[in-house]
Amino acid sequence: MTHRASGSRTLKVDALARVEGEGAMHVEIRDGVVHDVRLRIYEPPRFFEAFLRGRAYTEPPDITARICGICPVAYQMSACAAIEDACGVEVPAPIAALRRLLYCGEWIESHALHVHLLHAPDFLGYEGAIDMAEHHRAEIKRGLELKKIGNELIELIGGRAIHPVNVRVGGFYRTPTRRELRAFAPRLERAAELAREVVRWVAGFGFPEHEGDWELAALRHPGEYPITRGRLVSTRGLDIAAHEFEAHVVEEQVPHSTALHAHLLERGEYLVGPLARFALNFDALDPVARDAATEAGIGPGERNPFRSVVVRAVEILHACAEALRLIERYEEPDRPAVEVAPRAGVGHGWTEAPRGMLWHRYELDERGTILDARIVPPTAQNQPSIEHDLFHFVERNVDLPDEELARRAEVVIRNYDPCISCATHFLDLTVDRR
Amino acid sequence: MSAVVVVGIGNPWRRDDGVGPAVVRAAAPRLPAGARVVELDGEPARVVEAWDGADLAVVVDGVRTGAPAGTVHRIDPARDPVRAPAAPGSSHALGAGEAYLLGRALGRLPGRVVLVGVEVAEVGEGPGLGPAVAAAVPAAADAVVAEATGRGA
Repeated sequence: MTHRASGSRTLKVDALARVEGEGAMHVEIRDGVVHDVRLRIYEPPRFFEAFLRGRAYTEPPDITARICGICPVAYQMSACAAIEDACGVEVPAPIAALRRLLYCGEWIESHALHVHLLHAPDFLGYEGAIDMAEHHRAEIKRGLELKKIGNELIELIGGRAIHPVNVRVGGFYRTPTRRELRAFAPRLERAAELAREVVRWVAGFGFPEHEGDWELAALRHPGEYPITRGRLVSTRGLDIAAHEFEAHVVEEQVPHSTALHAHLLERGEYLVGPLARFALNFDALDPVARDAATEAGIGPGERNPFRSVVVRAVEILHACAEALRLIERYEEPDRPAVEVAPRAGVGHGWTEAPRGMLWHRYELDERGTILDARIVPPTAQNQPSIEHDLFHFVERNVDLPDEELARRAEVVIRNYDPCISCATHFLDLTVDRR
Repeated sequence: MSAVVVVGIGNPWRRDDGVGPAVVRAAAPRLPAGARVVELDGEPARVVEAWDGADLAVVVDGVRTGAPAGTVHRIDPARDPVRAPAAPGSSHALGAGEAYLLGRALGRLPGRVVLVGVEVAEVGEGPGLGPAVAAAVPAAADAVVAEATGRGA
């Protein structure tokens, strides 16, 4: 829908709805030159940070899980990591492994949704999953089947898929038996088979020539593809622990959004998420996933954000292989959770949500009451990089008609799978040309 | 005995958007024996999964049509045209309307779908329904029970 108001042309679209949630993008063009690209897609969970103050240290895993319906496990895992850090507790290996297994379910579920229902329509020339389903029913069904297996894994360990209720500080309320997990293995074998097909499918999409020049940042831990722990490393030499994050990342207010934009101090924008994890941890991928990536023509040097769809598919396969390995080696813990006694102090924790690193920080008093909470989600970190990428994209395509420009700009945004489900309510895209 | 599923869509942490879950909870004790009650965030694939195999799905979601807050709408998507998203007042852009269209495109619709929409006003962050929407919960729950027990319009 296009309408004119006070000399500027306003184009409204709702296709950005395929980003999870709603948002707004504003492009300013003056005499054919791009002046400004402003994106308002994500606002950090300030309400939840305020809500957590004064609550017990045992509550954040449950409360923060409600920030996002797509990645509740990520919020729970980062919350547990930060609180356990504050209390000086490290969970035993079997509990850590079970957390990782739970997290694999979320990666499978979230990536399967994005690849099939949100991203694939862009490459195949459809408005969305609904009209794509008319001609690609089998592929959409495969996406839903994969997603369902991811859901089932979350339910098996977390109790529920949307707001898992079985997670607590120190571990779980109940841990599954070996037999229960073993019985699930055939479902994951099926998922791995589907994921191999997905990698081959998306590798055949057409990808525009495009290269990002961001600093990529992801967790890294010896011997494992990063999910639940590690140091934050980057393609330009950053290497920090969770408690050092605040000293390296500044968040600044920008006029067009109530969101804070994150920058690395004296370095600038950076990008977290699948592309970054893949670039920095290619060697740690399961061999099955690494081979599939190589066959699909991508490697650690991949910098084309359009190909992030291939990386997500590879990560689904990795998560399946990893989950199968974790089940194979699973030892039932002696107790479902370890005791976590409160103490006064500050704790930091981060994990790799499907969309990238998610950082939590809690300050507790000696009784475990939360004095302060801070949460930095992946999309808050990526927003400046997305804007930057968008600016150059619009610059190169400035002659396109508004509607086509808007459509293609949305595709660029979807490359980053931004999570805005918990942010603003309505998407308005405005192109202001004078 | 036909299989009935009642789906409440919404986020209880986004004020009035929590009306879907609130209505299905209020309706639950009066639903026919064996009816399944599911609370979801509106992601369409989950909705399609939830109504798999059902003869009747009653889906409750917040809507914004311009009517006064708390107005209860009954929408029969087989008869009334459904746009995507049919529930723009939700804090999720993908709602009941998209779920219906996706289910139809995939051949995964239940025997019949009825949407009970409650007009929302405030969907900012925070728990708790606003007064007009909270006051509409009993009427919306009655509508859900009527549909589920075969007494609907």
